[in-house]
Amino acid sequence: MASYKAPLRDMRFVLYELMGGDELSQLPGYEEFTRDLIDPVLEEAAKVCEQVLHPLNRSGDEEGCTLENGVVRTPKGFVEAYKTFREGGWTSIACDPAYGGQGLPKAVNTLVEEMICSANLSFGMYPGLTHGAYVSLHGFGSDSLKDAYLPKMVDGTWSGTMCLTEPHCGTDLGLLRTKAVPQGDGSYKITGTKIFISAGEHDLTENIVHLVLARLPDAPAGVKGISLFLVPKFLPDSAGNPGERNGVSCGAIEHKMGIKASATCVMNFDDATGWLIGSAHKGMQAMFAMMNTERLSVGIQGLGLAEASYQGSVAYARERLQGRSLSGVKHPDKPADPIIVHPDVRRMLLTQRAYVEGCRALGAWAAKSLDVKNHHPDARVRQDADDFVQLITPVIKALMTDLGFESTNLGMQVLGGHGFIREHGMEQYVRDCRISQIYEGTNGIQALDLVGRKMPAHAGRLLRSFFHPVQAYIEAHMEDAVMGEFVQPLAKAFVRLQQATGQIARTGMAKPDEAGAAASDYLRLFGLTALAYLWARMAQQSLDQVDGEDGAFYRAKIGTARFYMERLLPQTGALFSAIMAGGKSMMDFAEDAF
Amino acid sequence: MAGINKVAVIGAGVMGAGIAAHVANAGIPVVLLDIVPKDGANRDAIAEGAVARMLKADPAPFMSKAAARLVTTGNTEDHLDLLAECDWIVEAVIERLDIKQALYARIDAVRKKGSVVSSNTSTIPLENLVAGLPDSFAADFCITHFFNPPRYMRLLEVVGGAKTRADALEVVSDFADRSLGKSVVRCKDRPGFIANRLGVYWLQAAVVEAIDAGLAIEDADSIIGKPMGIPKTGIFGLIDLVGLDLMPHVIGSMSQSLPANDPFHAITRPAPVVERMIAEGFTGRKGKGGFYRVNREKNKAKEAIDLGSGEYRAQRRADVPAIKAAGRSLTKLFDHDSAHGRYAWAVMGRTLAYACALVGDAADQVESIDEAMRLGYNWKFGPFELIDQVGTDWFAAKLAASGWAVPEILKIAAGKTFYRVDNGTRQVLGQDGQYHDMVRPDGVIMLADIKLKSQPVLKNGSAALWDIGDGVACFEFTSKMNALDPDIMDLLGKSIRRVKKDFKALVIYNEGSNFSVGANLGLALFAANIAAWTEIEAMVANGQATYRALKYAPFPVVAAPSGMALGGGCEILLHADAIQAHAETYAGLVEVGVGLIPGWGGCKEMLARWQSLGKLPKGPMPAIGKVFEMISTAQVAKSAAEAQEALILRPGDGVTMNRYRLLADAKAKALSLVDGYQPPAEPSFVLPGATAKVALDMAVAGFQRMGKATPHDGVVSGALAGIVSGGDTDVTETLDEDALLDLERQAFMSLVRHPDTLARVEHMLMTGKPLRN
Ligand SMILES: Cc1cc2nc3c(=O)[nH]c(=O)nc-3n(C[C@H](O)[C@H](O)[C@H](O)COP(=O)(O)OP(=O)(O)OC[C@H]3O[C@@H](n4cnc5c(N)ncnc54)[C@H](O)[C@@H]3O)c2cc1C
Repeated sequence: MASYKAPLRDMRFVLYELMGGDELSQLPGYEEFTRDLIDPVLEEAAKVCEQVLHPLNRSGDEEGCTLENGVVRTPKGFVEAYKTFREGGWTSIACDPAYGGQGLPKAVNTLVEEMICSANLSFGMYPGLTHGAYVSLHGFGSDSLKDAYLPKMVDGTWSGTMCLTEPHCGTDLGLLRTKAVPQGDGSYKITGTKIFISAGEHDLTENIVHLVLARLPDAPAGVKGISLFLVPKFLPDSAGNPGERNGVSCGAIEHKMGIKASATCVMNFDDATGWLIGSAHKGMQAMFAMMNTERLSVGIQGLGLAEASYQGSVAYARERLQGRSLSGVKHPDKPADPIIVHPDVRRMLLTQRAYVEGCRALGAWAAKSLDVKNHHPDARVRQDADDFVQLITPVIKALMTDLGFESTNLGMQVLGGHGFIREHGMEQYVRDCRISQIYEGTNGIQALDLVGRKMPAHAGRLLRSFFHPVQAYIEAHMEDAVMGEFVQPLAKAFVRLQQATGQIARTGMAKPDEAGAAASDYLRLFGLTALAYLWARMAQQSLDQVDGEDGAFYRAKIGTARFYMERLLPQTGALFSAIMAGGKSMMDFAEDAF
Repeated sequence: MAGINKVAVIGAGVMGAGIAAHVANAGIPVVLLDIVPKDGANRDAIAEGAVARMLKADPAPFMSKAAARLVTTGNTEDHLDLLAECDWIVEAVIERLDIKQALYARIDAVRKKGSVVSSNTSTIPLENLVAGLPDSFAADFCITHFFNPPRYMRLLEVVGGAKTRADALEVVSDFADRSLGKSVVRCKDRPGFIANRLGVYWLQAAVVEAIDAGLAIEDADSIIGKPMGIPKTGIFGLIDLVGLDLMPHVIGSMSQSLPANDPFHAITRPAPVVERMIAEGFTGRKGKGGFYRVNREKNKAKEAIDLGSGEYRAQRRADVPAIKAAGRSLTKLFDHDSAHGRYAWAVMGRTLAYACALVGDAADQVESIDEAMRLGYNWKFGPFELIDQVGTDWFAAKLAASGWAVPEILKIAAGKTFYRVDNGTRQVLGQDGQYHDMVRPDGVIMLADIKLKSQPVLKNGSAALWDIGDGVACFEFTSKMNALDPDIMDLLGKSIRRVKKDFKALVIYNEGSNFSVGANLGLALFAANIAAWTEIEAMVANGQATYRALKYAPFPVVAAPSGMALGGGCEILLHADAIQAHAETYAGLVEVGVGLIPGWGGCKEMLARWQSLGKLPKGPMPAIGKVFEMISTAQVAKSAAEAQEALILRPGDGVTMNRYRLLADAKAKALSLVDGYQPPAEPSFVLPGATAKVALDMAVAGFQRMGKATPHDGVVSGALAGIVSGGDTDVTETLDEDALLDLERQAFMSLVRHPDTLARVEHMLMTGKPLRN
């Protein structure tokens, strides 16, 4: 059975040493968030995740959710675990203090999210969706709606959902059909069917607040005619408690590959009462606000699962005895050497490790930028941070889930046939991770967002927030004798990224198919280069500490950095070639020849 | 008969004064007279006042302050004898027959024999103007109808009467063409001539149809606008500009003089909304507001008239799904089943049909009518070009289906187009049903014609090289907005090698509305955003090398700009052996506006010009100061004449008044340089270095203290000061061109990395306006 230990040491490294986490408390409004406050939060979170959530991960997967007479039951232990989680204040850590939240910096919250995803992703979906709904409502809802719903969502007594998808419309929300008819009293009647709704129905909370995309009768066609509505499962009574049952019900739950303990529901809205959030026809705007933070969170799901899988595969590789080392017997006392001596096993383990630690740093960079964007006193610094968040969000979502899937898959491989057997829990990580590449906008759509929206925005200004610091870093350390081994490969990848960016900008304008053809490879090239930059910085951070008290930790960092630069970063060469080859071979291929 | 060496304009109103100013722009002395004012001591006050007002007006009627000095002002009582010296006398007084005729008699008494007299009337038939006057006067008399503002509107309608001497018309037309730069369209003596007869019909039809259909004026303006290549002011925006009160005047006089069967009468029904607006003083931009207004009482809110209620309401964006649905197809727009589609057809179907009706009445050739609408109303396509777009047969069928008469010329054109290209020659359909070659006036060469007939010598996505005959090649920018990019530099380099081999001379010229507004900023900004510094530096170095190669090429190079030649587009002029500029050339080194400095040799060339040609006190400092001032304030010469003052044009460079004659003049100039051609000698520079930089920096600091320069202006000016002062040098040293180019490049590279510069570039690209950070 897999076990899980929160990687607190590495998290502290990323937060305090790499990202200068102490700076957080210098942002106005964050004065209290010093190390003395953050460390205990991380330790407490680790405890809940290791001791409460993780033990339910495999049983939840085995048991799944059940639907009976319209009532969805979560697996055994979830209700109690949720109670503990809620009472521990974990639903409210990242929320606005005005509504009972704890206002924790995003940089800290992201680490907590990672632990939850490692421990039990299915469980994490419930509070995760609530948080997404919270963000939209908080950003765009009227004061009366916010006062009525936010406190309960923040303290976790009510949960939330995001209802976008319909049977005929997933990526292309312009096709949406659900209708909203104004009632003249400020409320609306919502009618339609939503599918694939995570946490649409369950037994963890006394009420469920659905945020539903629908069309008003006079709405223009396409995405410009979509509005966002709040539709509670129970209409609040005069005291604000769940009252009359609303016209919303769960018609079915899906049977699926992974996250089986997370209920994925068909939701029927039948003249359900709802209220408009934000302006009419401007629903996508509110939705995008939520999506940006949600996409970051989904990226973190990939990271969390990869971390959990890495822990499992390392433990197994130390124990499992098979074959002898190619360079001579390492453990003559044993019938065979542990498989960790084998180069190919090391390749797998280090790949997992390099991706995991690199992605953790990347997530932290984005999260800290969000904090800066929200709290920095200087408008220019805020804009720069915001530019970076916008730019890197699709990269994080797609890169971290793709690498998460690769890593969990490698983790399973390390266990050989035993990885394929459910008992070890390794195949569950693979299955659970797979959805993260699909929902919240498929990874293909993320790549299109990067090249089609983020790249051309403001004549390329968003790119500046990444390219300028990296270029400056390269220029500053290129000639450095010690850092050279890390910075030179980075520089090579960076030039590839620059050239690919220029190429796409040039050809993509005239021929959009060319940009579309390059998009996924380009996103990966971008992501790998971003990780290279962070790995160079992590190595630099570690160099003068290798002989200190914690020397082993820093030596491992440098070793992983070296592996990343030498063995993983060269993929950028292949990606670059593929991008420069253009999309003709795909687009010239006759459609009926498929 | 001799040409026109002196001109008189009588009547110093907006039109008369503007005509006088433009004659002066051509370098011809001009007498401007008006009546003696009823009160006041100064008997010349009206004409003098007009000149004074014009010197302050924007857009400027004069091309330079010097031109204003060619105008002699006076009054019609004391100074009529001045007409005796004039070869052409233009009457532009109030539109009253009795007053005009009385004036003609007095003019006839003093004018010199054989001088031409013309009226700028827009409404009174020539026949009536000369009625009762001696035949000798009528023989010298014609109508020359200018458009407002006379400097900028290129159309001149010329009408001769039965008695007018052919050579009188010829002399005036030729002068208008070559000296005033006008495109002369001969019209018959019919009310409103061509442009206003059709233009006013069109405007009035659009107003009454919009009222009948209950359209929002924003929607109407967006329909009768961009989709048909009509300026975005549309209908109501244009009427606001010309003045609502002018319309009833013109319409009234035309409906009086046109025969009862003229289709004009169909659209002259009263429009009470408009009448009320005029009565209350809402006469357009010159009045309290027009169909659109900015409401000062409501925080400068933009408002528009509701045609139904006659009340102002908040202006809103046009919302016309029909335009989107039609795409680029005019037939789809005219056929669109919506109020908007029906409106488009009601207005344009009628107007185009009326244009057809004018053939044989107002003018004999369809191309005259097209030219009049293109140049008089700034339509991108003339009415017959528009009919060709929808197809003559489609148009005739739709007219018939609408129950409207199908004009004769359309029957002649059945199954044909009005224009066609036959063997590389543009042809036009005549009233005889035959196609006729379109012949350019003598001495006009158009690149467009050459392009129809031949293949480019060299070509890529952003530029082309053409053979324009007699051993001269023409380099043309073809990129979007003629922005300079690496492809242009590449082809320019190749062209230099090719011309050296196969031609005698090179002309740099194009027929875009602007010569070039400079480097492609979008490309540069994108490269800067991805920190592609080596690429940017290569772009700068490559531009420097290419322009340098152009300058020292072993054959003469003539640059022939028209419209804007800014930034890199100005720098290329500075590297030519000679410039033949269209009079309407707007040139300057404006890079500081986007936080940069001229990096393709512009600083160096301006410095060389002012050192050697500037009439300045001794020593290096005056020239440095002058160049620094020009570049650091992004000065733009607003005419070729101003460009001469700025030394962008040198003595010996030429100015062409008529846009159509620019290429021919440039070619002639290039050929004149061929014999014994020697590339220019390389200039050298003795510059003071640090001491000069300190002085310039102090001046900028002063401007900053006064709030006239922003913080980033200081940074940019500092970089510029570093170049023009010579960098790390002193007066004991002599610098060559390369040293200055290095300074330009280094300064450019340091600025392009500056976030405030990038913010300026981004702002310019996004908004078209400079950012003052
Ligand atoms: C377990 C689970 C939970 C979910 N939870 C929620 C939820 O809580 N709320 C909710 O609203 N939805 C939810 N979804 C729905 C999910 O977000 C969608 O499945 C996803 O957006 C993709 O839509 P689709 O399935 O219709 O695929 P499609 O849109 O049909 O896409 C199919 C394929 O085509 C590609 N594609 C589509 N359009 C383009 C294009 N323009 N260019 C290039 N490629 C394109 C896609 O990348 C994909 O590979 C969930 C789904 C699952 C499976």
